[in-house]
Amino acid sequence: MQTIKQTSPYVRKDVSTKRMMIDVLIALTPVVMFSIYRFGMDSLIRILVSLVVMVGLEAIAFGMMHKPVKSDDFKERFKSRYKDFTINNITAPAVSAIIFAMLLPSKLPIYAVVAGAGFGIIVAKMLFGGMGSNIFNIAAAGRIFIGLALADMFTGTYDGVDLIAGGTALTAIRTGAGFPYTLNSYPLIDMFLGNIPGSMGEISALAILIGMIYLLIRKSADFRVIVSSLATFTLLIFVAGLKLYPEQVVEYTLFHLLSGGILFGAVFMITDPVTSPTSRPGRWIYGILVGSIVVLIRLFGAYPEGVAFALIFSNMFVPLIDYPQWATNKYKPAFFIGTSVAILALVAIVFFGVGGIA
Amino acid sequence: MIEKTRFIPDGKKELKKLPIINYTDSKYLYYPVTSSRCADGETCVRGGQFVKVGEVIGTRKGAFFEQPMHATVSGEVVGTEKHMDQSGKSVDCLIVKNDFKYELHKTIKDRTDEEINALTKEDFVSIVREKSLVGLGGSAFPTYIKLSTKDKIDVVVANGVECEPNLISDYALMLTNPKAIIEGLIYAMKASGAKKGIIAIKKKYKEIDERLSFELREYSDYDIEVVKIGNFYPQGWEILTIKNALGIKIPQGELLSKYGVLNFNVSTLASIFAAVKHNLPVLERYISLSGDGITNQNFRARIGTLMTELVESVGGYKDIEIPKVLILGGPMMGVNVSQDDIVMTHTTTSLIVQNQVDLHEEPCIHCASCVYSCPVGIQPVQIMNAYKTRDKDMIKHLGINKCIECGLCSFVCPSKIHLTETMRKAKRFASK
Repeated sequence: MQTIKQTSPYVRKDVSTKRMMIDVLIALTPVVMFSIYRFGMDSLIRILVSLVVMVGLEAIAFGMMHKPVKSDDFKERFKSRYKDFTINNITAPAVSAIIFAMLLPSKLPIYAVVAGAGFGIIVAKMLFGGMGSNIFNIAAAGRIFIGLALADMFTGTYDGVDLIAGGTALTAIRTGAGFPYTLNSYPLIDMFLGNIPGSMGEISALAILIGMIYLLIRKSADFRVIVSSLATFTLLIFVAGLKLYPEQVVEYTLFHLLSGGILFGAVFMITDPVTSPTSRPGRWIYGILVGSIVVLIRLFGAYPEGVAFALIFSNMFVPLIDYPQWATNKYKPAFFIGTSVAILALVAIVFFGVGGIA
Repeated sequence: MIEKTRFIPDGKKELKKLPIINYTDSKYLYYPVTSSRCADGETCVRGGQFVKVGEVIGTRKGAFFEQPMHATVSGEVVGTEKHMDQSGKSVDCLIVKNDFKYELHKTIKDRTDEEINALTKEDFVSIVREKSLVGLGGSAFPTYIKLSTKDKIDVVVANGVECEPNLISDYALMLTNPKAIIEGLIYAMKASGAKKGIIAIKKKYKEIDERLSFELREYSDYDIEVVKIGNFYPQGWEILTIKNALGIKIPQGELLSKYGVLNFNVSTLASIFAAVKHNLPVLERYISLSGDGITNQNFRARIGTLMTELVESVGGYKDIEIPKVLILGGPMMGVNVSQDDIVMTHTTTSLIVQNQVDLHEEPCIHCASCVYSCPVGIQPVQIMNAYKTRDKDMIKHLGINKCIECGLCSFVCPSKIHLTETMRKAKRFASK
């Protein structure tokens, strides 16, 4: 009998990266289903294009990044390049691809989809070293790339039931009728169910919440980032509402919470473990960072919507949060003091920022 | 997944149901002359000499750790041979041919209660030392060193948690011989001057709780209490046991006695009882064969039994064509050995035979499960990254020396990265 050398522990938990990825795919199904129901073939085609581009390009890049064995036989060399290619090299880009597609308006030209998906997978992921090495959220990077490079293509691509201001609820509040009149064309219940124009995956809060519940039950996403980003977002918007629309502050907060990509981002994008810090306090800080930047962009920025920007910006801070010199998994007094001060400062900035110091 | 993992499948349920077979068939018994702590050793018997149970047959030498060797059967000394010991190293072993009479040596005499009452701390220490008692939980740390502490001891903890999966040695002892444990605890309390004794067991062991509480009614003069603590891993680690049983937080690396606590494994206490009352060294231990590569069985076997015999007695290995992993001890912290030619020593309580499982390492996805699960609060993933860049200062700063190598980080990793091994390498690298 042959014995094998191993070191302890000799048992492993019955979990895998594969399961985590597939869990995210399952959690995305309600959102995808809803977008196909709302936008039909438009949505399906864009999802498929994104999938093909991301999975295909990852496979090609993976092969190019791995050294082949020395052999005259082309087949053998080719095989050796894909020796380490696993199911995760398919599920992981598939997750990114679907999330990326969900960030797009349904009428966006196909080549813009191809460009964004290609940028995300090649520049934001494979150039950094592939799975586990990327520092930016792939879908967000792709979305920002086309958002900036192909900005013109986005005008008039948001498809909806009642096109009032030719854009999403958030553009309406900014350039259209303004709050609280937007509530007439975008009732809160419609926003919750997804009966509004907007990006394919972001419109139905209900579908997103179903996905969130699944992810949290399966523990495939960390609740800390979801809670801290949404709580920060709600708190700051509430403060802004207090100043701007003291009578309708609850409606204002709900309006912001249900519009744009904050819910989708909080559930599916911030929870991406690869681009998150790796400690409990770090994840709370990360969520606060994303939530507050989204609010700052929405209230003071040039864009109506900024989850992708907030995410990319926060990704840059992850190495800082994770810097081993101070990163710790314990909740220390410095963490509580630091976050409370930061939140108080943010509240002050928002409160005085929206209304002036008068 | 992304959570703090504390429960691991413990695999004890099936083992508990199996009967414990008293294994007495071994013709030859083997006694390692050296051990991992005692690099040197000498025998004081000659080939052809007749020895009896409990007789001193040699000494393992190593300053503090010096300990006499005792024969566990009666019979003739027939020479030496090389076999593996608990640590997986090949060592010289003295062979005694069993005559199956088990005659006791003349020094083996019971002490009366009056004699025991008259024993001082020094007497206890010297008895324990003469009988070469060691920590039977796995550390094999000489018990006399623990007992001879000069600090004031308030409480003695009997650790019966046994949190490693697949081990039932302490469990079986607590169920079959609780009296020995309680008496041993009382002796340890007398020797150290402690007023209070605590027996820490897992919450789910209701039968043990009943059994111990029932026995304890006879000892109402003493302040002994059964404390039920959590079922999770690594609850048996003394610092966690004490924290959860007594609420005393002891920083890692500090001596328990400084905080007025002494912690013994329940088997060690039973051996103290046998040494003080009957003047016996450790003769037998419970040992179980488990895992999917062998017929599972529990034994009671003499120290010095060769593991090969036990394996043969259950019919050898299953599915010989599948490569196997042999583990001495539990599946989380046990020692990997390359063959079953192993001599049973004081701390051998389990042989696990596992069929080979292929584990493919995936890239780390920073899920932080290892960070959340680490019982000592260090960050395995950060240490791994620091080790990859050979950053010695950073590895030290991240507290690598706190690592107890419990194996949880490797256990929880969804990418199947062998973090525990990386921690060991990093520890070695940092201390270079």
